[in-house]
Amino acid sequence: MNFLPIIQQNAPISMQIVRGFRSSAALSSVQSGRYKITPKRDRPLTYEMANPPHFIAHRKAWNSWNTSNLRGELRTAQCITEDMFIRKFMTGTWHSLVLSEVIIKRQFNHIRIAALIKQGISARKMYFLLGYTEEMLSYWLQCPVTLELQTVADPKDVIFKYI
Amino acid sequence: MQHLKRSINSFTFLKRSKTWSYQRFCATSSESNEKIEIPNYIPRSPTSILRALSQTVGFDRTAAHFKYHDDPYLIPLSNIGKRSFALAQESGRKSAKWIRQQHSNLFQHKEADPPIEAFMPTKIYTAESEVNTSDLESLIEHSQVTDAILVYTLLKNKNIEIPSNLQLSFLELICYHNCEEPLDEDLIEERWFRQSERLKERPRKTWKDNDLAEQLYHEIEPKDSKAHSCIIRGMCKYYQAEKAWAIFQNCLSNNIQLDVHAFNSILNVVMLIKESAELRWQLILELLTHMKNQQISPNLGTMNACLNTISNMGVKNAKDYATSILTEFKKIGIEPSLSSWYYVLRTFCNNRGPVSHVLVDIMAEIEGKEFEIRDIKDTFFFVTAMDVCKNHLFDLNLAKRVDALLHHGENFNLIGDSFKESTYYRHYFSLLVQTEPIEVFMQEYYDQLVPHVYIPEPMVMEEILKGVEVSGQIEHIPLLWSHMICFDQIYRENLLNAIVRIMIQNKPDISIKSQEKLPEQFGAIAYDIWSKIEEKNELRSKPMIWSGKLLGDILKLLCRINDMEKATKIMDKLANDQQKILGEPDFTAMQDFVKLCILKKQPSKALQCLQYCSSIGFNETRDLAKLICHGFTLDENHMKKLAYFVGSDVIEEVEREKQTALSENLKQ
Repeated sequence: MNFLPIIQQNAPISMQIVRGFRSSAALSSVQSGRYKITPKRDRPLTYEMANPPHFIAHRKAWNSWNTSNLRGELRTAQCITEDMFIRKFMTGTWHSLVLSEVIIKRQFNHIRIAALIKQGISARKMYFLLGYTEEMLSYWLQCPVTLELQTVADPKDVIFKYI
Repeated sequence: MQHLKRSINSFTFLKRSKTWSYQRFCATSSESNEKIEIPNYIPRSPTSILRALSQTVGFDRTAAHFKYHDDPYLIPLSNIGKRSFALAQESGRKSAKWIRQQHSNLFQHKEADPPIEAFMPTKIYTAESEVNTSDLESLIEHSQVTDAILVYTLLKNKNIEIPSNLQLSFLELICYHNCEEPLDEDLIEERWFRQSERLKERPRKTWKDNDLAEQLYHEIEPKDSKAHSCIIRGMCKYYQAEKAWAIFQNCLSNNIQLDVHAFNSILNVVMLIKESAELRWQLILELLTHMKNQQISPNLGTMNACLNTISNMGVKNAKDYATSILTEFKKIGIEPSLSSWYYVLRTFCNNRGPVSHVLVDIMAEIEGKEFEIRDIKDTFFFVTAMDVCKNHLFDLNLAKRVDALLHHGENFNLIGDSFKESTYYRHYFSLLVQTEPIEVFMQEYYDQLVPHVYIPEPMVMEEILKGVEVSGQIEHIPLLWSHMICFDQIYRENLLNAIVRIMIQNKPDISIKSQEKLPEQFGAIAYDIWSKIEEKNELRSKPMIWSGKLLGDILKLLCRINDMEKATKIMDKLANDQQKILGEPDFTAMQDFVKLCILKKQPSKALQCLQYCSSIGFNETRDLAKLICHGFTLDENHMKKLAYFVGSDVIEEVEREKQTALSENLKQ
């Protein structure tokens, strides 16, 4: 139900001036980076997912490491879109194998990409994908790209809790 | 930790800071009048700082090579793994490159500034492309042979004139590559693992006759000495000796000055031009005299070409020829490279000939030096030297000196490729295992180098097992077995027989501390052998045929640890699959099994064993039956069976024996 017209009608003029500021619980709730609890409590979360964003730099670290967000630095927008591209490329190329967030670290012109990978395919195939991903991304981003993967025998190993 | 310590020590400023003191600081500041001497500028390359950094970190033998991903699942543990992982990664690279080339229109963006060519797709040329001479120039520079040939023909068809120096460099390109696209420069793994180098040992004509290179050579007018030299070098490189020789002679008779490389190439193929050793030597001398007459100063290549030809002669005089060449070139101040020594080794150390200690002299000459590659065959030296140490001289100390030289400075770069590396280590290891005491070998060499540097081939593994057998140091067996599993060597019967034989013949002594756990481990190994092979046999189309002896030995080892359950499995296999098993087991194994049955009170199993023995027809079956009668109190049913297998007289005999034993007991 919309109470606004009623309030406006009954409120004195001075109150109408401060209109626009709302501090109700519903509006101040934040959602991004948080996961809803399921009725059966069977949604698996990794450690990374289990910690909401305000724990960054306390309990967990950033997913993208670069300096382009600092004041006066270059390529802010490019950096973000590139990171999105890298993440899409990784999850698509390593299809249903990536168990964690894709961490992207930039040092000088060098991009290091880290992730946890399920041991779902043979080591030889993994090497093929490694070579392919590194080369393809370095053609696209035109800088050296290194993959720093860790494999996980059982996908359940990365689950921190169920909610 | 060791690395860290070493790297800290290598920073000299840290060392100095230890001795730094206030007094010294004051002393230096008071002598400010002293003239400051600025040291000379040392020229640095773009990579010198990287080199300096890498020098602070030693080589870690316990880690896999850095080309492999640092993750337990991705670290290769066998030779096949090493090869296939590295090549798989490179094939991924290649497919990315292929995609970039197929969709080159999508990869035209320019992120880097200045643009980096290596990330860009190469320009695609078709029969319709508009081309000019600068295209050809850049293609030659990047040695893209196929494209260069295409552009060249396009230019010809359009009657665009090509400057003579460009034509010459094009000729050089196609002569060098024999009109074929070379292997990409960044495919290092493919270079490392490919085997064609071995085939090149035997010269075989691969030059493409009457192809573009020759046509172009005939077209060039007027031909200068470079064009002649170029075609001769190309032909010699791909062993088209006859044509090269014809052109060469033509040039000589027309008084055309050739360069030193053309002479070197001809010297390299002398063995294809002349038949006998005597004639070849004559030709070498003749060619060298020609060089002298034309006032061409010889270089390292000349010496190596001469030595190469001499090493292929295979006659007694060859040694004298080689020595004379070496002294002659020493006089004019040409320092031999490793490949020269390789040729010398090949000349002197013939396995059929007398033993020659020339390697000792060579080592005295080159020990402690650092080498860079100066000749393409430089990479053959170390593997040949080790071969000589092992097969010709059988000299451990010399082998260690060669190994020290290989690991001195950056000499390891000259090991060549994976094939040469593993050959080198194969010789080294089999020499070590035959000469060093086994505990020294295991501690100082095996544990250090296996599996990341070198993985012993089955042949070497057999020698190591033999070494263990001779010394009786059976505590190494569990480690060797686990390595054999990793290296995928457990399906080789000779190795299996060897390891089982060692375990049977050397019964572990529990009183010795290092052997305390061995009986259980041996039993586990024996059962491992059994289960691994059974597992594999189910999958393989061509199963391994069990030998009765091997099964009997496994059974024996299992009986030693009193493992009834596992021993029964083996016995079942022996009894049920009799016709599939080759040969028969040792009778002692049967005895051990029956004793185990008695211990575990399993008369029916013992009878099954008896049945098997009687069907095989062992002479000692009756003794076994007696053993069973003494060991168990058999019921009616079992008695019947026993009588059926060996005859009822055995039971009577045993009864009698029991009676007498009883009466003797009573008497006492």
